[in-house]
Amino acid sequence: MDHWGFILAAYGIAALLLGGYWWRAERRIREAERALREERSR
Amino acid sequence: MSWRRKFLLGGLVIAAALSWVVYAGLRGSMVYFVTPSELLAQGGAAAGKAYRVGGMVVEGSLDRDLPTLQLSFALTDGRATLPVRFRGTPPDLFAEGRGAVVEGTYAGDGVFLASTIMAKHSEEYHPPADAEPGYKELMRTLLKPGEGEAAK
Amino acid sequence: MGRPLGVVTLLALAVGLGAAFGWAPRDAVQGNVQRIMYLHVPAILTAYAAIGVAFVASLAYLRGRDPRWDRLAHASVEVGVLFTAITLVSGSLWGRPTWGTWWTWDARITTTALLFIIYLGYLLLRSVVEDPERAATYAAVVAIVGALDIPIIHFSVEWWRTLHQPATLLRPQAPTMAAPMVATLLLNLAATLCLYAFLVRRRMRLAVLEAEARARRWR
Repeated sequence: MDHWGFILAAYGIAALLLGGYWWRAERRIREAERALREERSR
Repeated sequence: MSWRRKFLLGGLVIAAALSWVVYAGLRGSMVYFVTPSELLAQGGAAAGKAYRVGGMVVEGSLDRDLPTLQLSFALTDGRATLPVRFRGTPPDLFAEGRGAVVEGTYAGDGVFLASTIMAKHSEEYHPPADAEPGYKELMRTLLKPGEGEAAK
Repeated sequence: MGRPLGVVTLLALAVGLGAAFGWAPRDAVQGNVQRIMYLHVPAILTAYAAIGVAFVASLAYLRGRDPRWDRLAHASVEVGVLFTAITLVSGSLWGRPTWGTWWTWDARITTTALLFIIYLGYLLLRSVVEDPERAATYAAVVAIVGALDIPIIHFSVEWWRTLHQPATLLRPQAPTMAAPMVATLLLNLAATLCLYAFLVRRRMRLAVLEAEARARRWR
């Protein structure tokens, strides 16, 4: 009746999806900021 | 034809296919299940056909034969009662006096042969009489595996 | 910067998870597996909110063609699709041990899958149409029409026979749930809404940077 595996999987997948999305967004923000800085200094 | 346009065309084809799948699924799910009285009203015309039937498991009707995993019970909608036979393990929440949806075929002799049992649960949630805060529950089930069955 | 909002989100998530696992009692009928609800229900309500924001922002964009409204709609749909995916996955993981099935085509689940597909289509459309203004206009129309699916999802459990149970929280009467469980649900809803706002802000920041880079290239 407990199914901790299912509970863990549900919360784990949610954390992976949200964390992955955030991680990717931050990386793209850093890249875009760097690209803009380089262009301005040129 | 540019590759962009090809991509768009491909996307449209995929979207059309997906919408068809969803449309077909939705059409089927409008009448997601029939009730025992609706099924029995069809009489002989229902024999041998596949159905999804939903109802309450009649109190006292559940009979389990553990060695063969044979399960028999009756589903009711208050007006008619349908005897059901099933082989396998039903879901946790399947029990007498609760709702269930079964998939299978209607045998001519008045019995429904189910291949799948799904338990329908109510929208009510409440703690059991011996409720304890969640963290104690967690510790207990983690430290002593197998004791979690005490829930039922 | 999104720093204060980020900190609030992190705290809210910690409180919400703490309540879901440390405070809320086990459910009498389902046992501990019912704790998936504290993820599943806030996720879909946040998805509704996200699509609702995209609906309003898309209307505003079509009226004044201000690219800021379009960026809000786009970011909101992206995060909304993410929360819809989490709803579908957590629902499946909840359905398997309780209902006895990972998936079934009942009206509630089918219309929720439809919501996911519509807004996935929205994102695909944006990536395919090259001209940003045309892409924004087409996408706004999809976002507005697609939002009509939300009331259908909500009332599906009342209009049709479903395997899914009726609403516990969003109903005219009092919730059919013990008070600590309702409180835990609301705490987690607050946390996912904060997370939604945080992610949308970061996504909009990225969109601003990308728009600036595009403008420089054209010069």
